[in-house]
Amino acid sequence: MNPMEQFIVKPLIAAPLFQIGGHPIYFTNQALLMIIVTLVSAVFLTFAVKPGALVPSRIQSMAELSYEFVGNMIHSATGEDGLKFFPFVFTLFIFVLCSNFFGMVPGSFTVTSQIAVTLALACTVIFTVIVVGFAKHGIGFLKLFVPHAPLPLLFLLVPIEVISFLTRPISLSVRLFANMLAGHTLLAVFAGFVVSLGFAGGILTAVAIAPMLLIVAIMLLELLVAFLQAYVFAILTCIYLNEALHLHDHH
Amino acid sequence: MASDPDRLRDLGSRLDQLQARQAPKRPPPSQTGIAGRFATELVAALLVGGGLGWGIDWLCGRIGFHTAPVFMIVCVMLGAAAGILNVVRAAREINAQIDAGRTDKE
Repeated sequence: MNPMEQFIVKPLIAAPLFQIGGHPIYFTNQALLMIIVTLVSAVFLTFAVKPGALVPSRIQSMAELSYEFVGNMIHSATGEDGLKFFPFVFTLFIFVLCSNFFGMVPGSFTVTSQIAVTLALACTVIFTVIVVGFAKHGIGFLKLFVPHAPLPLLFLLVPIEVISFLTRPISLSVRLFANMLAGHTLLAVFAGFVVSLGFAGGILTAVAIAPMLLIVAIMLLELLVAFLQAYVFAILTCIYLNEALHLHDHH
Repeated sequence: MASDPDRLRDLGSRLDQLQARQAPKRPPPSQTGIAGRFATELVAALLVGGGLGWGIDWLCGRIGFHTAPVFMIVCVMLGAAAGILNVVRAAREINAQIDAGRTDKE
């Protein structure tokens, strides 16, 4: 049993869908899960708020709670004018959250355990931040890279600030990817223990219950991590947007 | 039933008060969370610096200046500095979170 086997991206349909520049594009298990996540979250949220009841049902209040949760998060991190980015942050949050939770279903595939997916999401965030920054402040957005320091030092400090800024998409994506990868690998490793101990025979078969119980505990922890990482992704998006909107320097 | 809007408004204002009291706070991260965060920030900055320098060297090579590996060395150093800057910022941020949590309880 290879614990990394669950992360293999494999085509579900043998024939490529189409070609881009000579590269065949396949319909993979990852693509399927992304479509499922998108459809389920969209359909769920649409139908949850459809009744529009004054006293919400359980499902409606779930949708309203997530709406208010993200709304409060954006408000506290970026202030009033950040609320126009609500759709962007909410979509990101729901997508990451649902991907993480769908990954917890046994036998499914964790979309966010692929660095390609998380890096693409993080690059979208940083690209938005850059576009918003230049649209709001024009060329003055570059002041973000100029700390308060004497002029000779700026030759050293500005490249450092630029590299520090360019680090953001990487640390943002690696954090989500590494957390999901580590959690799911851990689960698979302990599941492997259960199987090999269970077939070992004698007293060892009885011991197999220990890693089994541990899996239950790790599963709970992973559910927490799934939510927490979606939250961290969303709030860091808010913090970066806040910097682009208000050009706070860090000092 | 004429008083229903009033009662709803009253309920709404009471709910608002309750929600204001328990405004969402970022929970301070766990020890492993902090360690992982610092490691990522440091390594990511080094990688970005190295990649940037390598790219500049490659471009210079294409134009005809054989600068390699000067820019890469310089940029890795700058990347290390940026990484430390990131870690200091992350630490400051986490300290602020912990302080915020502490003043809440008192």
